[in-house]
Parts: sequence; C-alpha cells; structure tokens
Amino acid sequence: MGRYLTVSIPILVLAATIEASFIRVFLGGPELVMLCVLAWAVNGSLEESVTWAFVGGIASDLLSAAPTGTTSLGLIILVFVISRLDRQVYRVGFFLILSLVIFATTVQFVTSSLILVLAGFRVDLLNSLSYVFVPTVGYNLVAIWPVAMILRRIQRWVRDDRVFAP
Amino acid sequence: MVQSSWRSNRLVFFFVSMFACLGLIVLSVVGLLAPVENIVAAPLNAITGAVNRATLSLSQSAEELAQIRDLRARNRALEETLAQFQSELVELREIESDYDRLAELLDYTTTREAEDFLAADVINVDQSGQLRTIAVNRGTRDGVAVGMPVVTGEGLVGRILNVSANASRVLLITDPTSAVSSRLQSSRVEGTVIGQLSGNLRLTFIPLDEEIPEGDLVITSGLGGNFPPDIVVGQVTSTRQFEFELFQEAQVRSLIDFNTLEFVLVVTSFEPIDISVFEEADEDAETINGGP
Repeated sequence: MGRYLTVSIPILVLAATIEASFIRVFLGGPELVMLCVLAWAVNGSLEESVTWAFVGGIASDLLSAAPTGTTSLGLIILVFVISRLDRQVYRVGFFLILSLVIFATTVQFVTSSLILVLAGFRVDLLNSLSYVFVPTVGYNLVAIWPVAMILRRIQRWVRDDRVFAP
Repeated sequence: MVQSSWRSNRLVFFFVSMFACLGLIVLSVVGLLAPVENIVAAPLNAITGAVNRATLSLSQSAEELAQIRDLRARNRALEETLAQFQSELVELREIESDYDRLAELLDYTTTREAEDFLAADVINVDQSGQLRTIAVNRGTRDGVAVGMPVVTGEGLVGRILNVSANASRVLLITDPTSAVSSRLQSSRVEGTVIGQLSGNLRLTFIPLDEEIPEGDLVITSGLGGNFPPDIVVGQVTSTRQFEFELFQEAQVRSLIDFNTLEFVLVVTSFEPIDISVFEEADEDAETINGGP
C-alpha cells in the first residue's frame, strides 16, 4: 500500500496542477486526474484504485471552489464500476476504453453537478453540457492513450519493485 | 460462500468509501475542513503557480511563433505592395516631369504664335564625346527638314543636321562646329556664338570698344538666315579682352541642361536661307574685276 500511495501522490498532484493550468490557459482540457485514476483502475486492484480516487479527488478539489470530496465521490463510483467489470484493459480493447472514458466523464459531470447544486452553487446545466461536458469528453478521449501508457509503465515498475523487494 | 463474502466485503468497502466522501463533502461545505484545506492547499497552490507560469510561458512562446509567422507573411505582402506603389510612384513622377516639361514648351509656343512648332522626344544623345548631337523622333514624314531650328522653352537647342523618315539628328549649339549669329539683348551688340567641347559657349567677334555686361542675355540675331531672331541662346558669365586682338569675347552659359533634355520643339515654319549663292556671286565679281 505504501509504495503505490507514495507514487500516487506526486503523480496525482502534478496531474491536478497541470489540469488547472490547462483550464486557465486554454479554457478547457482533459481531466487528467480522472484519466489517471481510470488508467490505474483498469489494471490495478480495487484497494489501490480507491486510494488513487481519494488522493486524486482531494487534490483536484483543493485546487477548485468545489467542496472537498466532490471529485472523489465520482471517482469512487468509477473505480468500483471498473472493478465490477473484472477484466483487463488489454483484453477489452479499444472501444471499451473509449466507452469507459465517456462513462467516467459522464459520472464525474453528473456527480459534481449534483453536489454543487446541493452545496448551494448555481449550475447552468445546459451551458455546462455544451461548453464543458462535450469538449471535455473530446479531450479525454484523446488524452487517455498517453496517460494509460505512462501509468501502465509506472504500474509495472511498482509491481516489479514489490515482487523483488527483500 | 467465499464468493458471497467477497461480494459483501466489496459492497461494504464501496459504501464506506462513499460515506467517507460524503462526510468530507459535508464537512467541507460546513467549513469544518477549512483549516486543513488551507494547510494542504498551500503547497498545491505553489506548485500550480509554477506550472501555470511554465504553461503560460510555453503558450506565449507558441503564440509569438505564430505571430512571427503572421508578421512574416504580412511583411511579404506589404513589401510586394510597397514595390508596386514605388513602381507607380516612379511612373507618376515621370508623368509629372513630362507634364511640366510639356507645359513649359506649350508656354513657349504661345509666346511665339507666329511660328509653327513640332514637339519631339529626344531618343538618343551622341555619346562619342567629339560631337554634340541628339536624335529626335520626328523626320521627313512629320515635315522636318535640314536646317530647321530646334528650341525649348529655355532657349535655342540647335538645328536639324540630317533627317530620316521618322527621326532627325540635331546639331547642338554646344558643338564646336556650331556657329550662331547672336546679339546681346541690352546693348544689341552682335557676335557669333560658337560651341565648345566643354559644353560652354563662346560669344566672339565683339568689337573691343563694346561693353559686355555680365548676366546679359544672348539672343539670336537672325543674321545669316540660319535661325529666326530673338531666341535665347544663353547668358554671359564672363568676358575676356586682349589688346593685341581685334575682337573681345565672352563666355556664355546656355540655360538648357543638355544632359537631361527629353522634349524639344522643331520650328517647322522657319526655312533657312541659303546665302552661299551670294558668296559665289561675290567671288565671280572679284574674278571679273581682277581681284584676288
């Protein structure tokens, strides 16, 4: 647990800060934290994935005006759904990854909108759909591939280290 | 059994995680998490600031590169436009220059209404150095004949030396073989203006007792029948007088810049008078009378 937690914090903090910078500079971009959690969850254990979801969600929320835990909630749902599939991403292939990205973006959008509304924020759903959700789905569908590739390497490195550790 | 236990553990795990998240959300909304959030957010904000600066810098560099490309393209387009305008400007300046010169010629023709003029373009300047001639684009087809005077608004240019169908050669008054019977405008003293290779003119055969004021205009006298009278030849710049010589002479500067001559007027109404017949008759008379 300690090993992948140590790895997850810098990766997810970096992902959250880059995500925040993308939004500021380009007025939109991929949800890197969510993609990292998704990429880890398709190959990792549930315990690891839930840790990643918590850490990533809190890092994202600390850099936004949303209440802490908002993003984590959506990510927890995501990792449990992926865990329920109980399959490896290499076996499910290209279209399942795309479907997972669309599903994850939707879950994230719905849960965060709902919690924001409940927390007293004013959310314009129609505009959010066209100006936030749809472009974000596009960005995520593109960004998942490099993110998944990098995290897969890190995952292997962490596991090898765990196996050969004295 | 094992499967069932695993399923229930997973569900418990899910619900515990969900409750944990909801708890965090509630605590955050209520504000109880604020001190912790502030402490944890501080390093995150610092990192975000650094990443922001780097991203902004990269973004600005990319924008600047794009701007440089745009500016280069615009620069090329502007250079092309500038070249086009410069070409048009040169053309317009030429037209303006031509207009000015032609207007001067027109003014001159209105001052001498009794004469007929034919405007001609200078198409060639003799580059040999030994001769001072120019060629104009008018010939026998236009009624030009040998001996016709050629003028501009500034004065006498020369006379037609030879003619082809569509061009003529003009012997300039600055040519050493050119001799123009002239007089000083104020004193009416007569002499002959002879050309020089230096481009200046020399007024000769002026009696020693005559005074030649500097700056006085020299005009054609009409004597000899080669040129009509009262055409400006030039202006006296200096005089020279030697006691051992029978005549004094003056340096005359033409008002025309022969190097930049572009348009001239051929005086077509003037017919040169051939007085060589009278010279031959004089020689015959001398022979009959037993003279030399």
